[in-house]
Parts: sequence; C-alpha cells; structure tokens
Amino acid sequence: MKSAMPLLDLRGITKVYPLGKTAVHALRGVDLTIERGEIVAVMGPSGSGKSTLMHILGALDTPTGGVALLDGQPLHELSEHQLATLRGRKVGFVFQTFNLIPTLSAQRNVELPMVFLGAPKRNRAARARDLLIKVGLADRVHHRPNELSGGERQRVAIARALANDPEIILADEPTGNLDSETGATILTLLQSLSTADGKTVVLVTHDPDAACIADRIVRMRDGRVIEEMAHGS
Amino acid sequence: MVRDFMALAGSSILHRRIRSWLTVIGVFIGITAVVALISIGLGLERTVNDEVAKVFGVDTFLLAPRQMSNSGRSNGLAQYMLDLEWLRTVDGVATAAAVRQRTAFVEGQAGPDGRVTQGFLPVLGLSPELVTSFPAFIGSLELEPGGRLFGEDETLVAVLGKDVATRLHVEVGETIVIAGDGDKPELTLTVIGIVAPTAEPSQQGFTSGISPSGDTIYVPYGTMDLLWGPANDVLTTLVRTEPGRDVDEVAARVQVELRARGSEVTAVTYSDISSAIGTVTSTVSAFLAGIAGISLLVGGVGVMNTMYTSVLERTKEIGIMKAVGAKNSHILSIFLIESGLMGLVGGIVGTLLGLGVSSLASAVIGRIFDVRVAVVVSPSLIVATLAGAFALGAVAGLWPAWRAAKLPVVDALRYE
Repeated sequence: MKSAMPLLDLRGITKVYPLGKTAVHALRGVDLTIERGEIVAVMGPSGSGKSTLMHILGALDTPTGGVALLDGQPLHELSEHQLATLRGRKVGFVFQTFNLIPTLSAQRNVELPMVFLGAPKRNRAARARDLLIKVGLADRVHHRPNELSGGERQRVAIARALANDPEIILADEPTGNLDSETGATILTLLQSLSTADGKTVVLVTHDPDAACIADRIVRMRDGRVIEEMAHGS
Repeated sequence: MVRDFMALAGSSILHRRIRSWLTVIGVFIGITAVVALISIGLGLERTVNDEVAKVFGVDTFLLAPRQMSNSGRSNGLAQYMLDLEWLRTVDGVATAAAVRQRTAFVEGQAGPDGRVTQGFLPVLGLSPELVTSFPAFIGSLELEPGGRLFGEDETLVAVLGKDVATRLHVEVGETIVIAGDGDKPELTLTVIGIVAPTAEPSQQGFTSGISPSGDTIYVPYGTMDLLWGPANDVLTTLVRTEPGRDVDEVAARVQVELRARGSEVTAVTYSDISSAIGTVTSTVSAFLAGIAGISLLVGGVGVMNTMYTSVLERTKEIGIMKAVGAKNSHILSIFLIESGLMGLVGGIVGTLLGLGVSSLASAVIGRIFDVRVAVVVSPSLIVATLAGAFALGAVAGLWPAWRAAKLPVVDALRYE
C-alpha cells in the first residue's frame, strides 16, 4: 500500500505572509504530487512562489491553508520538534548559496545532520568521508568552505544533503552561483542520485539546462501551478 | 552529543578569537578580584587563628574582666578580684596563672650624682606558671645576659624593663625598694633580670590588656600579695583544663562559680575567640567580595553582549543547522555551552590569577606587619568559582541562546 502513496502530496496549499499592513499571497492553492524516484523541476519567474513551495515541501515552513503530506504524514499535525526530526531523516537540502558552516571542515559539515540525529562519531566520520569521495572530493575532506571553489562547495552541500540517507533531495537553484560547466557537473551528480540511488529530487530553478535532467517540469506563476508536463513531451 | 556541541561551540569561539578573549578578560577580572579577596580573607583568618591557638591552645581559656565582653573591647582599666588558689582546685582545672597590675612607689639606687631615683611605676605580678605552663603568653621574654626569670617559690625578686632599670640605676644583683598599701611593709626586691629592649612581651603573642613597656616592673604573683593583699586587681587569668575535659563546660562552670564568689569575669574560650575572629573576617571578606562581584556582573553583561552579537551574526548558520535537522534544544545547548565555556575559561584564568594575587598580597601584608600570613588555597572556593563562572556565562548566554533557538527556520535562512 505504502509504495502506491506519493512521497509528497500537496492539496490546496496557500501561504500568506503579512507585510506591514498588507498580505502577500505567495501560494494561492497549489495541488502537486511527487512520486518516489522522480526528478521534478519547479520553474517560474521570480516571485512565482517556487521557493515558498520548496520550503513547504521540505517542512521548513508551514502552509497557511491546505494539507501537505510527506510519506502520508500530514505535516501540520507535527510539532516543531517532530518537524526537525523529519527534516533530519527524510529531507536533504541543497541551496543556491551552498549554506555551509564556515567554521567547519568539509567533513564536519557533512557530519552535521548526523550529529543532530545522534549518530555515533565513528560511523559519522566514515560515512562523511564516503560521501565526499562519492561527490569527488576525496582530497578536500579537511578543507574549510573558504578553501573550496563554488563547485566544490556545492558538492559538499550535496554530500551533506545525503548524510542521513533521506528519501528526497530539495535543491533550490543549485546551479545559480556556478558557471555553466560546473553547473552541468552538479546537475549530472543530482541526476545520478535519482537514477543510481533512487532518490526523489526536486529542483527549483531558472536554469533551462537544469530542467533537462527532470522527468517532469512544473511551471508556476503568481503562486499557482500553471503547467505540469513530463519532460520531452 | 554534548561533546559534539562542545566541539561546535569551541570552533565558534576560536573562529572569533579576539572577541572571545575580550569577553573572557571581562569575566576573569571579576573572578580574579573575588578569588583574591576571599583567599586573602581566609588567609588572614587562619593566620590570626593560628596565632591565637599558638598562645592559647585549644585546652585553655581566659578569664577576662566582665566589661570586656559587654562592650566588646577592653577599656584597659578593668580589673577583677580573684582567688587563684581556689580556682586551681576547681574540678577540671589543671593549672591557672594570672596577671595582676598595680602602680607602686619605687626607689632605686643612687645615680652618678649621688641622688636616689624614686617614682611611681607600673608593676605587673606574674604567676610563675605563666613562664612554665604558658610560655607563649608572655612571648619569648628575653632577658639581657646574666639575668633570669623568677622561679615558683621566690618572692623578693623582680625583673625590670630596660628603661626602668636605666632610670633607677639598677643592674642585675642590685635591689629596689617597692611600697604597697600603707598598712603593708615596704619590700626590698633583688633584681634578677632585665628585659632586653627588643623582646618586650607586647611585641609577641597575645597579651589581653597587658601593655608592658620598658617602664614595667615584673614581680612574682605572690609578691603582690605581700604588698597589696588578696588579688582584686587581676587583669587576666589563663586556665588550662585537664586532658580530655570539655573546655567550654569547665569555662562555663568556672565563670558561674567565680561570679558567685564576686569575681566579675567572663570566660573566653578558644572557640569564642575563633568564632569572633571568623565573624569579623568573613563579614569583611563578604563585603569586599560583594564589591568585586559587581565587576563579575559587568563581565556577565559582556558575555551577554558577545553572545547576542554572535546570535545575530550566525542567524543564517542557525537556519542551516535547523534545516539539516537541529532541534530548538540543540541550538539552545550549543549557544549555552559556548557562553558557558567563555565563562569557564574566564573562571580558570581568574582563579589562577586570583590565587597569585592573594599570595603576593599575603607576602606584602606579612612584610608590613612582620608576620607570616598563611596562603589559603581552598579547594571548595576553586570548585565553587569555576562552577559559578560557567553558570555566569551560561546564564548570561541564556537569553541570546533562547532567541537563537526560537528563530523561524525560513527567516533565519533568508538572513543576510
């Protein structure tokens, strides 16, 4: 039964931010399902609500209205504490600005999600090194973020996203701060996570190249999904 | 997990090295002051107690004039009557010695001009037991070469202060004439010793109202009886109890019985003196430590300021940690450990410096007052200080840490 259930299921999601005396409607009733192992690209102009959508998919933010189900679990029923655990276990984030902790080495950055889940130190270190090798950074394990190039930083971020072996990787403009060649290698890496490891990958992007690796493209405008199409269709 | 959080906090402290050190300096100045003042206070208390114990012994008590304890200090004139022989027979008393004081008309020898010097001089009657049983009481009463102190059965002898010996033109082996009450005969006393000028009893030990000077004539206690009759001019009495007896019990009983016999005395035991000293020194120490505590408070505000700035600076970092699974309690712990660590480092540095300052101060005070001041390194003070310093840091960091923990993830991630 469980496998028949979509990994992510959004129904009638709205999000309203107060801005002074006015209200900003970031999402105006979004319905979206994402299946396991899919690569979905969410595209749209700035202000279309795609980042807000990603925050809700990743349990970073709660919707104003509607129901968000992650693996069948309604997110609005979870406490802040449970949401944190859920983020740690099931979701890996990749950000446009990498968002690594500047004071920690690449390995310690990758270990961080495991620290918060209470993994034993020895397992953590071994897994962090394995993941860094997997993303091609075997010789950068002990480097701090400011000693790494943009592409290397994004690889560390991807390794960190994989630390707790989550089911879903949410990538917000992962190639936005990279040149096109480096961006392409990052996209290949993300694609391999789906094809080789069966991860579900959601890409929020402006980048048409990024959309090329997607199985499905969701286009948004003004807080609504205006188009969903399978890639190549 | 706590070790991981400590590592995270530590890397953050090291990353902001200068600011962290400045914060730590703010803490350790306060800790140094508190530790130094309390240690100096403890050292002085122990020194005074040691001095008192040296003279007094824990098996000994003192009979002071009653006014002494009522007013809290001696007026220097209070004297009381005492039957020393009876006191020695009281159950539990091993030995007792007393000091009587009078002013007497004294006549010495003829000077170079052939005139005999006369005058009124203070006379102290000392029980020979003071020399044999309570040597520390009169200090090292050093005599000039050729002299000696009087023995137990002697009466017609005297020991003179250096000044009085000079003024009366008397040397060891010569005599002085001393007049007591009108109805008692004058006595001719042989001078058997002259006190060396540097070894006056007032320089040493515990004298309780006796302030002998080079002007004083010391005679045996029994000689006072011959000159003035039964003692009603006692300045102080020392009583040693029999081994194994409860000093406080014997002292209390002696006080009651002596008062019933008309002696206006107050029994003062070592523990009375010790607790009185303790009260004074701990009050002074607490007052000084309280003032020093204000600088600790300032240090605490410094930690709070640093932590608050740190939270603002690391807002995005907090968002990242929460995005990768950190719970509010994790964030709170990391920031509390960070501020607590700064407090603890301040505590360690401050304690070491404080102990150093107190040793230095003890040496200086010792040199000024010519005593050996004990340097007290109290383990409980050190443990309390370190725990207190960590707590100070943690409490100061509590509010910033709570703010950090409560930051909404999305807002924190957007922070630039």
